[in-house]
Amino acid sequence: MLKRIVDWIDERTHVRDLYREQMIDYKVPKNLTFPYVFGVLALITFAIQIISGIILIMYYKPVIAHAFDSVNYTIMREISFGWLFRNIHAAGANFFLAIVYLHMFTGIYYNAYKKPRELVWIVGWVIYFVLLVTALTGYLLPWGQLSYWGTVVTTEIPASLADAPILKGLFGAIGETISIWMKGGYKLEDLALGRFFGLHVLFLPLTLLGLVGIHLFLVRAAGISNPDGYEIDKKKEPEKVVPFHPYMTLKEGAYAMWYLAIFFFFVFFYMSHFLPADNFEPADPLKTPPHIAPEWYLLGFYEVFRSIPSKFWGFVAFNLILVLLLLLPFLDFSPIKSARRRPLFFIAFVVFLISSMALTILGAMAPTPTNAKLGMFFTALVFLFFLSLPVISFLEWGWYKAKGGQS
Amino acid sequence: MEASRRDFISVAIGGMGAIGALGVLYPVLKTLAPSAASTTEAKVEIDVTQIPELGVRVTSWKGKPLFVLRLPKNIAEDKYNVKKDSVNNAGKLNYDLLKGQDAFALVGVCTHLGCIPLWKPEGSDAVKAPYLHCPCHGGLYTPWGDVIGGPPPRPLFVPPQKREGNKLIVGEEGFVKELV
Repeated sequence: MLKRIVDWIDERTHVRDLYREQMIDYKVPKNLTFPYVFGVLALITFAIQIISGIILIMYYKPVIAHAFDSVNYTIMREISFGWLFRNIHAAGANFFLAIVYLHMFTGIYYNAYKKPRELVWIVGWVIYFVLLVTALTGYLLPWGQLSYWGTVVTTEIPASLADAPILKGLFGAIGETISIWMKGGYKLEDLALGRFFGLHVLFLPLTLLGLVGIHLFLVRAAGISNPDGYEIDKKKEPEKVVPFHPYMTLKEGAYAMWYLAIFFFFVFFYMSHFLPADNFEPADPLKTPPHIAPEWYLLGFYEVFRSIPSKFWGFVAFNLILVLLLLLPFLDFSPIKSARRRPLFFIAFVVFLISSMALTILGAMAPTPTNAKLGMFFTALVFLFFLSLPVISFLEWGWYKAKGGQS
Repeated sequence: MEASRRDFISVAIGGMGAIGALGVLYPVLKTLAPSAASTTEAKVEIDVTQIPELGVRVTSWKGKPLFVLRLPKNIAEDKYNVKKDSVNNAGKLNYDLLKGQDAFALVGVCTHLGCIPLWKPEGSDAVKAPYLHCPCHGGLYTPWGDVIGGPPPRPLFVPPQKREGNKLIVGEEGFVKELV
């Protein structure tokens, strides 16, 4: 019976051809390593966020008089399993960014941003940026103390442009305009909550969905990168590739099960990491909570921002890091791919990885003078990583030419 | 047929996936279930001594208006010109279920088009006894909700209810077992 239904559909749509083309005739390198799984895990987390988000939006009220209660009473107590979906959504946001960071570091390590995959990287960068905005807008919605004050601080950041060494008036006006436009007024009220809500539940997820679709299409179009850094000719080297299904689907399916097990372990037993106690207190515009820091996924940028003595240069520095990240394919123009084959790049990568982690850890610590100095040091190392790439590429071009254009 | 290692992995992952999908589906469906607040509405307790004789107390049960009437002992349905063919879901007149009760509850929604009838304890020129009158299209009911006149196709609904001393408990099985 089922076969006859599929036959009927297939006759009209040729879905079997599509399936064979996309799943079985689609070949991937057989030496893909474990970190290649992060892309699929990010996709799974995106699905988790959409499903849990749909449940939450049914009961959430984007009005400051009701927002806090709709989250902490209606969703947490009144709706059966409402607490579960809130936990999933809150933990999911953290896992999403964690997986995306791992995915990005994987891409950097294997140089998956190089020709012909520059667009994959650029679209991926836009996804990362949109994801950060999604996380920020979603953070305000529960209308707790941390939500409120976290957003106050975020919307104040553009105002640091007023610290500019030149054209103070102009930069100050730009900064204040951005800040006021983010809030819809001088303080955070219903207008801000409403627009954050609209962005968080409709515009940003739809944008993400589109971007993720383009990202996946680009990955298919350019072919998946290879840990060894060689491009595989699928026709001439059939022994180096395997069909996507069942080889990749099963392998990634197994990793997905482990990932979900860890994810739900946190959802059920360790939610205090993702829903801090301070946020179970309604927002009070006249009282800042004693401990306030950004979420861990922003701590690196936060540390860059605060360890630099001038607010203006701090603002410029962390935005510059974002821009340099976007320009990675053009900074690193060497034809040789993958850190496995690039000892100098490997060292630079390790420096970058350690600096990012150190900045994140420092971001969570008290801003003592020593910590500020360490923050400056690791900020410098991050910039050194980006600036070393053209130098390394230049050297590698020499070796590449010396070997007669062979990588 | 010999099962290969890959078959085992396929079944294991597919099976775990299926269990996971069920695990997702269960709480998703559960969130759609009636909330705790709305289920508390399914049971109402009324102290009948608070209602004067020939008085009505209007409250709500499952979101619908609920009339709790208290009638004197001497009142009976033979005073009214009841439409005997208009019966409730149990195939009876409401009076057959409620007679002998000095206090009982009715769903206060006209069975014609859903308006809320008015309580006329003094009666009128046409009906010389207490009755319920629906202002929308002139439906007339006895105090037990049986149809006397007008367009209503059936008597007022009677919720399940029981009596414990002075308390009338609506929503629990007693002298009326289910909504009829």
